[in-house]
Amino acid sequence: MKELINNLYSYRQLLKSNVKKEIRGKYKGSFLGVLWSFVNPLLTTLVYAIVFPFILKNTEPNYITFVVIGVLPWTYFTTVIMQGTTTILINAGIIKKVYFPREILPISINTSGLINFFISCLIIFIFLICSGIGFSWYIIFLPLIIGTQYILQQGIIFITSAINVYIRDAEYIITFIINMLFYATPILYSAKMFENSSISWLISLNPMATIINCYRDVLFYQSMPHIKSLLVVLLGSCILLYIGLKIFKRLEKGFAEEL
Amino acid sequence: MKKKENYAIKVCNVTKVFKLYYDKPNTLKERIVFWKKNKTEVHKVLDNINLEIDKGETVALIGTNGSGKSTLLKLMTKIIYPTEGEIKIDGKLTSLLELGAGFHPDFTGRENIYFNASIFGLTASEIDKRVTQIIEFSELGDFIDSPVRTYSSGMYMRLAFSVAINVDAEILLIDEILAVGDQHFQEKCFNKLQELKDSGKTIVIVSHSLESVKKLCNRAIWINKGKKEMDGKSNHVIEKYLEVCS
Repeated sequence: MKELINNLYSYRQLLKSNVKKEIRGKYKGSFLGVLWSFVNPLLTTLVYAIVFPFILKNTEPNYITFVVIGVLPWTYFTTVIMQGTTTILINAGIIKKVYFPREILPISINTSGLINFFISCLIIFIFLICSGIGFSWYIIFLPLIIGTQYILQQGIIFITSAINVYIRDAEYIITFIINMLFYATPILYSAKMFENSSISWLISLNPMATIINCYRDVLFYQSMPHIKSLLVVLLGSCILLYIGLKIFKRLEKGFAEEL
Repeated sequence: MKKKENYAIKVCNVTKVFKLYYDKPNTLKERIVFWKKNKTEVHKVLDNINLEIDKGETVALIGTNGSGKSTLLKLMTKIIYPTEGEIKIDGKLTSLLELGAGFHPDFTGRENIYFNASIFGLTASEIDKRVTQIIEFSELGDFIDSPVRTYSSGMYMRLAFSVAINVDAEILLIDEILAVGDQHFQEKCFNKLQELKDSGKTIVIVSHSLESVKKLCNRAIWINKGKKEMDGKSNHVIEKYLEVCS
């Protein structure tokens, strides 16, 4: 463990330039450039905000702000998981030719996503101001929620990125799971709808549901987030991160040969 | 400087086995359907190799194609891991297995210097110090601020080599790259290697250009079919090698 941290520290410049490459390289050549990572979720939000009031009978007031607070963290989650899963495969070229701590690749995917998400937060703030909801001091919980999401994602992509090298189906299975999870996460609807229903326990099993609920509590409802469930998710994420790292370390030895 | 041992690279009883699949199962379906049916052939690339390379030595690995030289280099850089045995490295190691690994075509030459050097484990300030030296060595001039995709293959190689050679590692592993660029640049590379050798770096070269090997290295190791055939003074080993091959 100590060796890993030392190793990562001495390769910190690689982590930095890799994050830069992820953010800038992806949209290089397109007209709007980096802006696409914000325009995209915004357009998605717009579609939901137009369509769903027709489908759901009673939506929340300020529905568009309600949706934006769900969609942006969710976009962060899906981009990191999808990109993270394929990152080892995509970087096959350098993995086969140069030695560097392989953990850098999934970590930089998650970190560049985090930086994008920070900017997305500004969009959320603009929506909060424009809709007249404003801010409350509960916003101090925001770093804790974001941190939990970061650790959760890191744990997941350590596992998926390594497995995807050996079983290329992983990518497609995960796309499917994420699509399904989208409906099992209170993004378009409020978790309160299921409060007294028999499937509420099912939603509570989904860590992203807890995280999105916390974002909503802190930003939209301006109330105390459900700290106990958040801490449970945080603890679970830390355990997942530890297991993920173990799996990654174990599988990384075969990367260059399998690719 | 209290270390008793003076090795830079120590290879102990290393065996490397590659599994060759006739039809590699990459998907879940194939893994399940062809479970245990898949024909594999075990190919022993390296067989119980023992080596010790001291600090400051310049060593050439020679041998015919497919003899396992490059695999040995890859094992030393920790890109792949031995099936059996152990490899110990003492010192900062840089490998030039293939040039320009990880260049991003849309970034400029200068940005790629930073990216490529960071793959070798340099920090930003360390790269800052070297950047003029690297650009000078590459002789790219004003092209350094154009995207790499606009480069000719020669320019690409020159940039890649310049980064790698200026990383300042204690141990350099080089795989068949003395054939970079034109005559002028090749000589320049050769001189640079000579200079690195004189400054006490450990260099391991895989090469087929035996003439330059003879000039540059004092020790040569001949690997034949995964086994160490001969180890000794480069002139002597190369002579024997040529005798057998021709």
